[in-house]
Amino acid sequence: MSVMSAQTRPVTRNWGLVRGILWTALGLAAVVAMIMDLGLSPKGMAAGFGKLGQFLAAMVPPSDGGDFSRILAALIETLAMALAGTCLGVLAAIPLGIIGAKNVVRNPVFHFIYRRGLDIFRGVPALVWALIFVAAFGLGPFGGVLALAAADIPSLSKLFAEALENGDPGPVEGVRAAGVSPLLELRFGLAPQMAPIMASQCLYFLESNFRNAAVLGIVGAGGIGFELEERIRVFAFDQVAFIILLYIVAVSLLDTASAWLRRTLR
Amino acid sequence: MSPDNAIADFEAARRRQLRRQWLKSGAGLLIASLLLAAAFHQSQFFTADIGGDPARRILDFLTRLVPDLRGEVLFRGTDTPGSLSAWFYDLPRWLDAIRETVEMAALATVFGAIGATLASFLCARNLMPWAPVRFVVRRALEVIRTLPDLVLALILVAAFGAGPTAGVIALTVSTVGSLGKLFAEINEEVDPRQLEALDAAGAGLLTRIRFGLIPQVLPNYASYSLLRLEGNVAAAGALGIVGAGGIGLELQRAITYTEFSTYLAILLLLVSVIFVIDLTSEAIRHRLILSQDREP
Repeated sequence: MSVMSAQTRPVTRNWGLVRGILWTALGLAAVVAMIMDLGLSPKGMAAGFGKLGQFLAAMVPPSDGGDFSRILAALIETLAMALAGTCLGVLAAIPLGIIGAKNVVRNPVFHFIYRRGLDIFRGVPALVWALIFVAAFGLGPFGGVLALAAADIPSLSKLFAEALENGDPGPVEGVRAAGVSPLLELRFGLAPQMAPIMASQCLYFLESNFRNAAVLGIVGAGGIGFELEERIRVFAFDQVAFIILLYIVAVSLLDTASAWLRRTLR
Repeated sequence: MSPDNAIADFEAARRRQLRRQWLKSGAGLLIASLLLAAAFHQSQFFTADIGGDPARRILDFLTRLVPDLRGEVLFRGTDTPGSLSAWFYDLPRWLDAIRETVEMAALATVFGAIGATLASFLCARNLMPWAPVRFVVRRALEVIRTLPDLVLALILVAAFGAGPTAGVIALTVSTVGSLGKLFAEINEEVDPRQLEALDAAGAGLLTRIRFGLIPQVLPNYASYSLLRLEGNVAAAGALGIVGAGGIGLELQRAITYTEFSTYLAILLLLVSVIFVIDLTSEAIRHRLILSQDREP
């Protein structure tokens, strides 16, 4: 009976099984090789998690360390950096996005190279930009704001360019048919289409910049990151927990406000 | 009512509405500009002392950033100033660090995807009937998503010491946070009929998951994981700055010696690796989506 069922089984199914096992084995081997190469040892892990447990235990109860006003000021500075960085990024991305739109600059070679160029720098984290800007322009939020803008510009430009490309030409042609100046064409034909899309993207970037801005202080670029790093360095984990909790509350407040604004603007 | 009156009424109503619109957008604009002004003031953007005349400082920065390359000696050895290999003078070591970065990202994506799969089963409405568990897991994932991976890395470096271990764990945790939510959404959109059919055939829970769930969700899981891998490589590039292993350490070193052109060289190396990984993963993702579409 069992022989029968084995024979009636489709052959392709077995090949799939073999292939699946091979890929799984290959993947496992790669994972093991990478673990060995990075030197992730169970012993080191155990010691680390032991210490982490102590840190977590030290986090309760959270305490502001008697310096609540300073933490709050740093948090406000973080928000200010996020706002300013997003604003600068948007201001720079508008012309860059217009240049990158297929229906503005029609040369396909330029378009390809330009958009790929934007893609290449899309992945660079804000902290990497902050490191060099702080070295160039000194400690403080100035470098941080620049870094946030620099990290946003490639993706924002791409989004704006795509929004322009996907814009409906109908309203623009309609306004043009009324015989108005090119400026009014933009104002009444294109702007009503673009503004809600762009505004909602700006708000998304503001949210993500608030998260990015929180770490820039690590390299001296201002904001709450500095307070965090300082307290982690001296193992003041009750204060670390306080800052993190306050930060989580701030993030959810900002996200709620931004979601409300997005709904209102739509 | 005479026609004159109707026109006057209409005009008045229109003026009122226009005025209301103007007031509304004016108030919005005023609030927005006040907020922005406060933000620029608070971040001292225009008042910060960046060491003298801003234009000169920026020019100075750019001249130090751009390497001093000379055409006639471009392909000479490392000892010749002005050659490409003098610019990339520590290439083997940087490539080593970039390999470490990519490995950290890959491992974190694998571990994170496994963790996210478990978490997503616990918070999908159609798989986890018990609401309190769903609630707790979802909130936990939300909290993880709020925390930047570099903050996690800072704490983990304090616990695990400097090195890639802390980086891998930090990235794994944040990957669980983001993929867990996406996977749960995929799980909730699963076609229940295949699960019901297996249930009717008397299959156990594991068999139901294996034949009713996995074939439906795996392509989407894989595609999101690849997307996350792209993000993780970029994120891993910054982890070394806080001591969590990878190329960030070399970036930090270049800054310590204020070698801005070296920094640019490493950055270019990093972005090209990220770019190649993005292209590869994009190609695989398109194939995954296509193969999924071909199935009925």
